[in-house]
Amino acid sequence: MGCCYSSEAEASDQEEETKRLLEPAASPPNKVLNGAEQSYHNLPSARTDEQAMLSSILAKTAINIIDVSAADSQGMEQHEYMDRARQYSTRLAMLSNNLTHWKKLPLLPSLTNQPHQVLASDPVPFADLQQVSRAGLSPCGAPQGHILILEEQ
Amino acid sequence: MEGTLEQHLEETMKSPAVVGVLCTDSQGLNLGCRGTLSDEHAGIISVLAQQAAKLTSDPTDTPVVCLESDSGNIMIQKHDSITVAVHKLLS
Amino acid sequence: MTAALTQGLERVPAQAGYLVISDGAVLASSGDLENDEHTATVLQGLVATALGLRLPLGHEPPFRRLSVVFGEHSLLVTVSGQKLFVVKRHHHVQEPVAV
Repeated sequence: MGCCYSSEAEASDQEEETKRLLEPAASPPNKVLNGAEQSYHNLPSARTDEQAMLSSILAKTAINIIDVSAADSQGMEQHEYMDRARQYSTRLAMLSNNLTHWKKLPLLPSLTNQPHQVLASDPVPFADLQQVSRAGLSPCGAPQGHILILEEQ
Repeated sequence: MEGTLEQHLEETMKSPAVVGVLCTDSQGLNLGCRGTLSDEHAGIISVLAQQAAKLTSDPTDTPVVCLESDSGNIMIQKHDSITVAVHKLLS
Repeated sequence: MTAALTQGLERVPAQAGYLVISDGAVLASSGDLENDEHTATVLQGLVATALGLRLPLGHEPPFRRLSVVFGEHSLLVTVSGQKLFVVKRHHHVQEPVAV
């Protein structure tokens, strides 16, 4: 469990350094980058720019690092680990219970107890089916009707 | 347009055992309805017709979706861009 | 177990195939619907949509059987014990249905 940067020792220094170097420049990072690329060997300021860039990268990285050295130093007894493990598994069990509950919600209602009979029973009467096909024909469905209607308007 | 549609809805309602009729466009917009079928059903009715159309590769074989219960049937069919539903009680 | 599920389906008049679907998976299939995952998926969607229908006459659920009627055949679906039962039936009378 190594920690490359000790935030306590270096972070404050770094922040100070970053502030001091970036303030006078006051330009977006990619500009700094371009400048650094172009004038790397020629200008004396190049080194400072590069330094600033590196420092800002370092500062950002340091912020993103979680320092586990503190936790380690406190130390943990074995029974504490066990307690935590138990706590986590209880929480997990609770969560997964809720999840299956949630998944079971859209259960299908039983429409019948005799599916075979229901499927074998008489089909929808042909006359009824005609009703819905005829229903569409005259006013809404038929293309001619539609065009006529539009012309009326 | 509305006049013709309304007239047609009235006529369909006069058929024996018909207790509801509805016309919706493919977006589920209710174009007109009577009886047991109303605004709130338009969305589901248009979706049912579209889902059923996926059951065939023949675009001319437009299926009728029937919801059959002990009391009656709701029959749904798409005609071009308009879906028609008729609720008919068992006679 | 599957035999018990499907025995009745085979005796459905004019059947040309069936599907038994549970929790998105095809448990049993035969005939025209053998391994027809596409039909299984679409029908599950159709049933789920149809179950959302609420009618003023207040029967709940709103249907006992859902039929999708084509020119030459129908697909009939019902739900029992968390399973979808689907049968494809040919129309015994060759009538020109619904054009």
